[in-house]
Amino acid sequence: MATRGEFLEKIRREVRRAPGLFAASPAARPDRPTEAAAAARRQMAERWPEALERFRQEFERVNGIFHRVAGLDEVAGVIRDIAREKGARELVAWAPGELGLDLRPSLEPQGVSIAVAPTDGRDDARRRHREAAARAPIGVTGADFALAETGTLILISGAGRPRSTSLLPETHVAVFDRERLLETLEQVGVMLEALHADAERSMSGGVISFITGPSRTADIELTLTRGVHGPKEVHAIFVGTR
Amino acid sequence: MTASPRFGERAAVALKDAFLQEALEIATTKFIGLRKDSFAGFPEGEGLRDQARAIKEATLQKLDHYLEQVADNVERLGGHVHWAATAEEARETILGLCRDRGVKMAVKSKSMATEEIELNEALERAGVTPIETDLGEYIIQLAHEKPSHIIAPAIHKTKGQVADLFSRELNERFAADPEVLTAAARKELRQKFLQADMGITGANFAVADTGTVVLVTNEGNGRMVTSLPRIHVAVMGIEKVIPSMTDLMVFLAILARSATGQKLSVYTTLVRGPRRSGEVDGPEEFHLILMDNGRSRQIAGALREALYCLRCGACLNVCPVYRQIGGHAYGETYPGPIGILLTAMLKGDRAVKDLAHASSLCGACQEVCPVGIDIPRMLIALRHRLDRERIAPLGERLMFRIFGRVLASPALFRLGAALGRLAQRPFVRDGRLRSLPLLFGRWTRSRDLPPLARRTFSERWKDLA
Ligand code: SF4
Repeated sequence: MATRGEFLEKIRREVRRAPGLFAASPAARPDRPTEAAAAARRQMAERWPEALERFRQEFERVNGIFHRVAGLDEVAGVIRDIAREKGARELVAWAPGELGLDLRPSLEPQGVSIAVAPTDGRDDARRRHREAAARAPIGVTGADFALAETGTLILISGAGRPRSTSLLPETHVAVFDRERLLETLEQVGVMLEALHADAERSMSGGVISFITGPSRTADIELTLTRGVHGPKEVHAIFVGTR
Repeated sequence: MTASPRFGERAAVALKDAFLQEALEIATTKFIGLRKDSFAGFPEGEGLRDQARAIKEATLQKLDHYLEQVADNVERLGGHVHWAATAEEARETILGLCRDRGVKMAVKSKSMATEEIELNEALERAGVTPIETDLGEYIIQLAHEKPSHIIAPAIHKTKGQVADLFSRELNERFAADPEVLTAAARKELRQKFLQADMGITGANFAVADTGTVVLVTNEGNGRMVTSLPRIHVAVMGIEKVIPSMTDLMVFLAILARSATGQKLSVYTTLVRGPRRSGEVDGPEEFHLILMDNGRSRQIAGALREALYCLRCGACLNVCPVYRQIGGHAYGETYPGPIGILLTAMLKGDRAVKDLAHASSLCGACQEVCPVGIDIPRMLIALRHRLDRERIAPLGERLMFRIFGRVLASPALFRLGAALGRLAQRPFVRDGRLRSLPLLFGRWTRSRDLPPLARRTFSERWKDLA
């Protein structure tokens, strides 16, 4: 095996020999990412209604199903209806602290059991939750960003926010509010620069997932088919503030 | 993958396969249309393509620095970095991990880099079962075939063939319906994701500044293999590193548009090392293999620009040669016009002495390339080098040399045109030259040419003037 030193020395030699094809530089990054992110948020505080409309259009274009409710207390009702439609009696969800609400008090009396993600990462709890996610027909998550330009939900994994919730069940439901809306990929870039500029947040969850509609393939005779590995259906519930 | 039988014979087989031809025609036409529509409603696209090209060039100008940075950051996040100078070193690294950690089954998401190093064969020999999980790749793995298109690896198979294949391999009768067949694959592969010890992926990008490895998929298999098994190994060519998250957004904005006409692929997965404390999912170990395998030679070499390639497949779809013969005929991991250059990069010029001529130099590839790679320029230079080394097919070299002389001399040109018109008579059908004897036979096997005009342009020009 090559050692790091040898390997890099070879590259360095070649780089020194090559003048380059033309003068070029990488994309200009924000000088102060944290402040740039705050500025983007201020902008969105004004522009969120347009962004929401654009998000809805793009999300529906990629076959997402969009819902809008007036307040957090109406979310459980939408989820109950989806569960009824699917005949689902079992659900997995992000931990209440991460999701912003606890679905158990409103849904369990109606006969829908809810496996809530553990936050401490103990092995037995992890295993049990993984099994629940593999069984459950519906997974409920939050979203860290909702990108209007492309209809994309962006989820950062972490304690109490498993990746499998948005991956293993056939139906994924994401709940978010206007604070999460962004308009452009460029803004997402600013947010991710800010996240990584923060020593602690840069070490948070192992994966950031961009999700743009349900899982799809066209590998057999170019026929578009949904739900090949990930969810067949993706719902977004936008929560307004009355 | 070996290069025999010769390219000419494989191309001839492909040209006779009516279904393959039709499938290729439909697929490539569809992809071209989707790409075009997507850029038509996206005026910023042109500027982003220039920017993406500049980012790739800027990265190569300091590649050593960015590689060090990505390695440091992956390690800071708790991952392991391996340096593989050759394909063999990359394979050995993975086999070593399998041995040490008792890996019996590995699930893979589509990766050109692991095909480049012929990993599946090596894993099988070592007693590890590799399972391709991209639906197209899964189909051709079951059928023991090779991918025919970067984006749609199994477009050469009919749904009837896939139904027969699944029925035989999964011991259950399936209808020839893409819905049914996709559901069957979902069920079968879901079990494998949950059982496998190792997930193996390539990487579309690695962000130096953050140590993030980025995977782009539509099916979600990329998410599965990076979330469920206890070990994740990513194999990546050194040219995939980019400086920052800001740069990543530039590439994301044009990659899916170029490949399938989507604004973004369904899943873009940013992997930041192994599972963190408190997480339910994710591997205990994350390994990144940084692979050279002939790439660094080209930093200062004639194929430097080919190191910009994003593997989007757009240049394949528009290539008239590819559209006629498909990916199999190239007989290499990387097909199409860029594939000729990548093969030369990995295996040396000699490996493409036939393939170097499988392009009409029409320039369509460069026009659609999201990073503006000048493929025709590099192909011409490659042909010159091969010519100098006298390893190009003798007949063709001779033909082009004579052609060159004739074009340079008006007298010879007039004489040649007159002789040519006489000589071509027996070979013109429906107003096209369809097949020519002797030296010219290779050239017309996959090309129809317009015959020489009754009167040359310069002859007519004289009358008009
Ligand atoms: S050469 Fe350009 S068009 Fe072809 S696969 Fe690479 S990036 Fe895409």
